[in-house]
Amino acid sequence: MRRFLGRQLVQLAVVIVGISMLSFSILHVVGDPVVLFVPEGAPKEEHERFRKLLGLDQPVYVQYWRFASRALQGDFGKSWYGDAPVFNLVLERMPPTIYLTLAGLGVALLIAFPLGTIAALRRHSIVDSLCTMVAVAGQAMPIFWLGIMLIIVFAVHLRLLPASGYGTWQHFLMPAFTLGAFLAPITMRLVRSGLIEVLSTDYVKTARAKGLGERMVVLKHAFRNACIPVITVLGLQFGQLLGGAIVTETVFAWPGVATLTVESIRNQDFPVVQCAVVLLALIIVAVNFIVDLAVGLIDPRIRVSV
Amino acid sequence: MRPRTTALTLLTLIAVVIGLVGPAQAQSRDETIVYTITSDVDSWDPPNSVQRTAIIFGYQVFNHLAERDLKTMKVGPSLAVSWKPVDETTWEVKLRQNVRFHDGSPFTARDVKATFDRVLDPTKKLTARGNHAKIKSVEVVDDHTVRFKTDGPYPLFAERLTALVMQSEKVIKDKGHDWMQEHPVGTGPYKLVRWNRRQEHLLVRNDDYWGPKPAYKHVRIRIIPDVATQIAELISGGVDIIKAVAPDQMDVIDKSGVARTSTAPILRTAFLQIDQAGRSGKSPFQDVRVRRAANMAVDAEGIIKHVLNGLGDRVATGVNPMAFGFDPSIQPYKQDIAGAKKLLAEAGFPTGLDFRFRTTIGTVEPGVAQTNEAIIADLAKAGLRAQQSFIGESVPYISQVKEGQAGPMFNWSWGYYSIFDADAVLYDVFTCGQVYSYYCNKQLDDLVHAGRSTLDEKKRADIYVKAQKLLRDDAAYLFKWGLRGVWGISNRMDYQAPRDEIDRMYLVTPRKK
Amino acid sequence: MSTLAERPLSAPPDAVTSAPPRGQVLGRRLWRLKWGLASALVLLAIVASAILAPALAPHDPLQVNIRNRLAPPAWMARGDWAHPLGTDQVGRDLFSRIVHGGRVSLVVGISAVLVASAIGVLLGLGAGYFGPRVDWTIMTLVNVMLTFPFVLLALAVIAVLGPSLQNMIVVLGVAGWPIYCRVVRAETRALREREFVLAGQALGMSHVRVVFRQILPNLVSPIVVIATLQVAQVIILESFLSFLGLGIQPPTPAWGNMLGEGRVYMLNSWWIAAFPGLAIFLTTLVINLMGNALRDWLDPHMKL
Repeated sequence: MRRFLGRQLVQLAVVIVGISMLSFSILHVVGDPVVLFVPEGAPKEEHERFRKLLGLDQPVYVQYWRFASRALQGDFGKSWYGDAPVFNLVLERMPPTIYLTLAGLGVALLIAFPLGTIAALRRHSIVDSLCTMVAVAGQAMPIFWLGIMLIIVFAVHLRLLPASGYGTWQHFLMPAFTLGAFLAPITMRLVRSGLIEVLSTDYVKTARAKGLGERMVVLKHAFRNACIPVITVLGLQFGQLLGGAIVTETVFAWPGVATLTVESIRNQDFPVVQCAVVLLALIIVAVNFIVDLAVGLIDPRIRVSV
Repeated sequence: MRPRTTALTLLTLIAVVIGLVGPAQAQSRDETIVYTITSDVDSWDPPNSVQRTAIIFGYQVFNHLAERDLKTMKVGPSLAVSWKPVDETTWEVKLRQNVRFHDGSPFTARDVKATFDRVLDPTKKLTARGNHAKIKSVEVVDDHTVRFKTDGPYPLFAERLTALVMQSEKVIKDKGHDWMQEHPVGTGPYKLVRWNRRQEHLLVRNDDYWGPKPAYKHVRIRIIPDVATQIAELISGGVDIIKAVAPDQMDVIDKSGVARTSTAPILRTAFLQIDQAGRSGKSPFQDVRVRRAANMAVDAEGIIKHVLNGLGDRVATGVNPMAFGFDPSIQPYKQDIAGAKKLLAEAGFPTGLDFRFRTTIGTVEPGVAQTNEAIIADLAKAGLRAQQSFIGESVPYISQVKEGQAGPMFNWSWGYYSIFDADAVLYDVFTCGQVYSYYCNKQLDDLVHAGRSTLDEKKRADIYVKAQKLLRDDAAYLFKWGLRGVWGISNRMDYQAPRDEIDRMYLVTPRKK
Repeated sequence: MSTLAERPLSAPPDAVTSAPPRGQVLGRRLWRLKWGLASALVLLAIVASAILAPALAPHDPLQVNIRNRLAPPAWMARGDWAHPLGTDQVGRDLFSRIVHGGRVSLVVGISAVLVASAIGVLLGLGAGYFGPRVDWTIMTLVNVMLTFPFVLLALAVIAVLGPSLQNMIVVLGVAGWPIYCRVVRAETRALREREFVLAGQALGMSHVRVVFRQILPNLVSPIVVIATLQVAQVIILESFLSFLGLGIQPPTPAWGNMLGEGRVYMLNSWWIAAFPGLAIFLTTLVINLMGNALRDWLDPHMKL
């Protein structure tokens, strides 16, 4: 167990360094940031002056070191517009994003578990094909489109729910459903295939042979084991889920990190983009790490094979 | 039992999460006006902001010495009860008594002096300084009397008093500039309760207000960048007042039964600025033939009729029909694609040319996205192929414009600082060296300066006719139209589109059934 | 010995268990794929219409006519068959724009997937075939990439590079490779120990030859399946970026930016946004169905 933990930690550290490099390069390697500061057609000296001012005349590794050591202290610089410290700006917007993600995950599970179970138990029945069809259609549905449709139906025509914004539980319904619909198809398929696999294993057969009711078999024996792959994949899919949250936020003007990021990209406010990317990625890493550990604890075989 | 527990856990989790954010809204909807803006302000210190929105915000929380009456459009008293010239270069102003700031301290002549001193101090570099540079000094006579010394005769004195909010001496001295950016302490009808950057502002009624009591207790100002969302919110009852509604969306609002539109001609002219001065580097548009070709390529009248549903007044230059000095006899350019192509060929571009065209949505110009698209298509017909470069918010957009990076062509409109005079656009947007001007022509500069140094109205009118002819013939910018604003207003309320574009929440009243 | 390599290794085990007449088996398998085949036909039609767009479109997709704005689809009142799906907010023909927009979506989708699969397969082969050090390095890179949400990465890079067709392809391609890498690596590691590979090595074949001649051919099926499904994913992502105004720039028609521009008109001229949305939905739907069918056909036990 200790070796497993150690290996996980080393990998965690490497991934975090990798993320910091990637986000560092957003601003510093891919483009020439000086171009953004200096008016077009400005003399060469002006370029040089800004290069010095931004510390870009130094070797890349020195620049990276400075970026990383500041970032460690939560200092990602100031927004290029409005002068606020970027870290606070992003942190302020984090809770709505996290709440939305959790709510979306909840909705996805609420949809996926019952449907996936029914589909697995009644394999090749009409219900199963119906569920599969809904899942495939759901996967093809661009969720920003779904979001707009929901707004038109529930906010504009029925006037039941607020069209955008954040604050009360009503504000959560449409965005959470949109995000849930994004994640539900894949989760449903996982539940279904996981259950099918488990139901054909020996110990389930044994349980059945013992004369346990089908209901007990499914609930007590099969479910627990079918959950493991679902949890693992959901952990891995957490990045996808956050990606979905980005899309959802922009449609519902949700005041989270994603809308902030999109706004900042439009305004070319790169420090904000950088900080948002790092913090979101860190959250994903943390979630993945915890999921890996949890699964490793539940299922000792994984400790060896990873 | 497993799935049920999982589901239960999840439900509880969701409930907890929602419970955490739930109590955010305590104010009752009936006592609240929800107002919308497309992009947030950079500060709550109006003299230090470049944004229209900051001026509007200033009206809710602060007072000015004088204020324009929206019905008569005349300047009337506010914190000043009267003003009169003592001699050629001195104005004496009597102040209102028994006025208190939000922090409880009384409003006196010392606050007026401190406010003006701060704005006029060149080292502070406040945006508002240019508007008041004619004032040389401010003297306190007694607690409620102030004297202004001006640099020469200053006929626009009272007009300009409507453009500066009164701040507190105590705050300026003790709290200082940085603190003031986020903490407005005014004498106005509302007080700022909370500012969540780029999300919303919450105001509450100032119950010690000296003037008429506003009908609504709370004002929530929501930042919703997307027009479609704004309209959806208005119709679903989430917001009460939106502006810059595209003319082709008016039917949606009017048919909804819960909101209506209100339009008014506004003191604002829209045009596409062309970098004649070469501020962003050399460009083909420095050639007058190319600029004329651009003006001739566009069917502005057709666009007003078909895209704006007639809500626009075609103008030959940047001078608005409501401004003093406007000359209706000067003919705007008419569409002439063949002529435009010929001019381009003469200028050395027989196959046309490509250029960057900057736009934003962070403006009050209704339908700007659609009209821009129509203009781009018209320009392309003549061979002027514009590549749109889009900036989502007004602060970075304005800063690009000010820093001279916005050439060779960008979308712009000018609101005259609410001064109904040709000078208010010609000086700022057309003379050499001004931050918002991408045009530089010695002849025009001379005319504008001549117009500023005489009080003879007849002479000034003649000068502005000459200036407009010159601008039209030199095709200084790509001229469009005078705007008519379109507001969307909830049927819960009585409110009218303001002609100076300054929404005053304290004028909104519940609608009588 | 080398003939062993010709035998498909990933042959589905259940195909060997029972042995009814070959033709009947084929027929039954084809019948199970009916949805896949139908969607392949629809997809073919979409691809053909995109390729033939200039001939098929009744109007120039950029032709603005402000006198005929917001015209409804032909079957509605005030509709006109000159514009079968109506016109948009500046009077451009919607049908022509959708057909042309399909080109953008498909070009971006397919090119990005080619880029992604090329990178992913090469790195995956390297990671699986060579020693643990190469493996560790590449897999760490994969983990970093997987940690970044696809959307966020694309947004961030577009922010710096600026929006354009080429940048979209590069971004979506570079963001999409890790999945190939993971699958190819796993399969390669399994194959590396197989007799025919060891034999090839013993015979003195170069690494390059072993990898490309003996290992890669066995990996074609999973790669094709992943690639197919990813095309759909990329199309949705492209349309989202364009929807936000960070992808294909107007006036160039792309389904995403048409949807974004038409969003304002959802309440009175719904067709401007509805048809591009439908196009995205239909295209990704048939690609997904086809991908699923392909997986069932090639290897029903593939875990993707």
